[in-house]
Amino acid sequence: MRRALAVVLTLALALSVAAPAFAETTLEKINRTGTLTIGARTGSPPFAFVNKQNEWVGFSIDLVEQAIAPAISRKLGKPVKVEKKESTPPTRIPLLSSNAVDLIAGTMTDTRPRRESVDFSITFFVTGAQFLVKKGSPIHGIQDIAGKRIAAQQGSTNARIIRERVPTAQLREFPDQPAAFQALAQGQVDAFTNDGIQLYGLRAKTPNPGEWEIVGDFYSYEPYGMAMRKNESDFRHLVNVGLMEAMESGKYFELYDKWFGPRSEAPYPLTAENKRFLLLQVVPK
Amino acid sequence: MKYEFNWSVLWSGQSGGWLLQGLLTTLEISALAWLLAAALGMVSGAMRTVPWRLLRAAATFYVEFFRNVPLLVWMFFWYFGVPPLLPRPVQDWLFNHGAEFWAGMFALGVYHGARMSEVIRSGIQSIPKTQFEASVAMGLTTFQAYRLVIVPIALRLIVPPATSESLNLLKNSSVALTISVAELTFQTRQIETYTAKAIEALTAGTLIYLVLCLGIAAVMARVERRFAIPGLIARGG
Repeated sequence: MRRALAVVLTLALALSVAAPAFAETTLEKINRTGTLTIGARTGSPPFAFVNKQNEWVGFSIDLVEQAIAPAISRKLGKPVKVEKKESTPPTRIPLLSSNAVDLIAGTMTDTRPRRESVDFSITFFVTGAQFLVKKGSPIHGIQDIAGKRIAAQQGSTNARIIRERVPTAQLREFPDQPAAFQALAQGQVDAFTNDGIQLYGLRAKTPNPGEWEIVGDFYSYEPYGMAMRKNESDFRHLVNVGLMEAMESGKYFELYDKWFGPRSEAPYPLTAENKRFLLLQVVPK
Repeated sequence: MKYEFNWSVLWSGQSGGWLLQGLLTTLEISALAWLLAAALGMVSGAMRTVPWRLLRAAATFYVEFFRNVPLLVWMFFWYFGVPPLLPRPVQDWLFNHGAEFWAGMFALGVYHGARMSEVIRSGIQSIPKTQFEASVAMGLTTFQAYRLVIVPIALRLIVPPATSESLNLLKNSSVALTISVAELTFQTRQIETYTAKAIEALTAGTLIYLVLCLGIAAVMARVERRFAIPGLIARGG
């Protein structure tokens, strides 16, 4: 029995250590396969979601396909195909370190602990956490949630902040937005907290957007970045160049308008402050 | 990229406390669900072998309906589907008092009850028919024959498959995280959120499940030996 246990443990450990040992940089991999594999969400409109026509689309995906992939393909001198795999908050870092995906293009907040495990591109979107509630709810922001049942997404920064700031709130954490929203719609929870922009996206997708309200000031700062394997500065530079060129040429703002503009499903005006912040990240040619 | 391991995330900060909490929740939900599954399994397993067609049909329906739908769907059913059938004040009370835990418990218990039922039925059907006939000839009613003779013997025969089934139940309790039950797997994800160290957290969870299951298996092996029926078992394990 004891020996069997030792064998199992050794095997498990060996497997977990051996998997990422294959030494090939991300750029070499993309060059060899002609494919940039990205991890994206399937239920986070408007960043990455499956639309009514069953197409996997979104702002983050457009950024990769129209800004980042062209920059990489120019550098490699050959076309680069973008392949999408599903990633969720708990799986995205393991997906990167196991080489299953090369870039996380979704709604991942750049944080200091995460930077210990992965590298981030420049910030491509800025938002903050708010609450989605039924119209007329007594909850108007983080000051009202003590003792209330609050849904959050598992593995998100929001849940963590709520737990630290309002320990009396009854937190219910769901693996994805649809489940959390279902719980809100049925009254299992009083509010659903997530990054503001995602709540706007979610509300736009509900059958009766008028029934729902997004309330509260941002109680957190959520700068989104695209995550990639650590210490791959060549690859990271290309990702950043792609994003910077898009911001510089106005492509970024075209895409912004497509997904968040006044005629989009989830209008979310770009504040002058945020636009300035995005543009300040663009370093000179 | 070489993944940099940092095992200290498992004992620094709140990780230890979270794992312990998760472990307790896992044990709690599994133990309650196991009791429910055992009770449902025994009743429906026995019912599938009785000489009355209606009871057999009811038990068959239960087994086939519940074991042939994925557990995840049952989780959603008990959490999202059942509460709206209750009056609003009852719903509110439930939602404030761990509705997700009870929904998860029922999902797990009823699903595994259906599977347990088959284990018990096979135990009963492995008993020679003459045992039942002898019991009835002694003057026992069918119910008494089942309660006093057939089911006790069957239970002693099915310890190995019942152990497997129980271990499955314990591990399947992790599915309850989809309805926000903060069990062990949920807590390993929580550690990942705080530390971005997913592999360490998953390994800790894996080891805990492994140790737990090996422990239960060892206890059940003793139970099996202790309750083996001399003469009925081909060979001692």
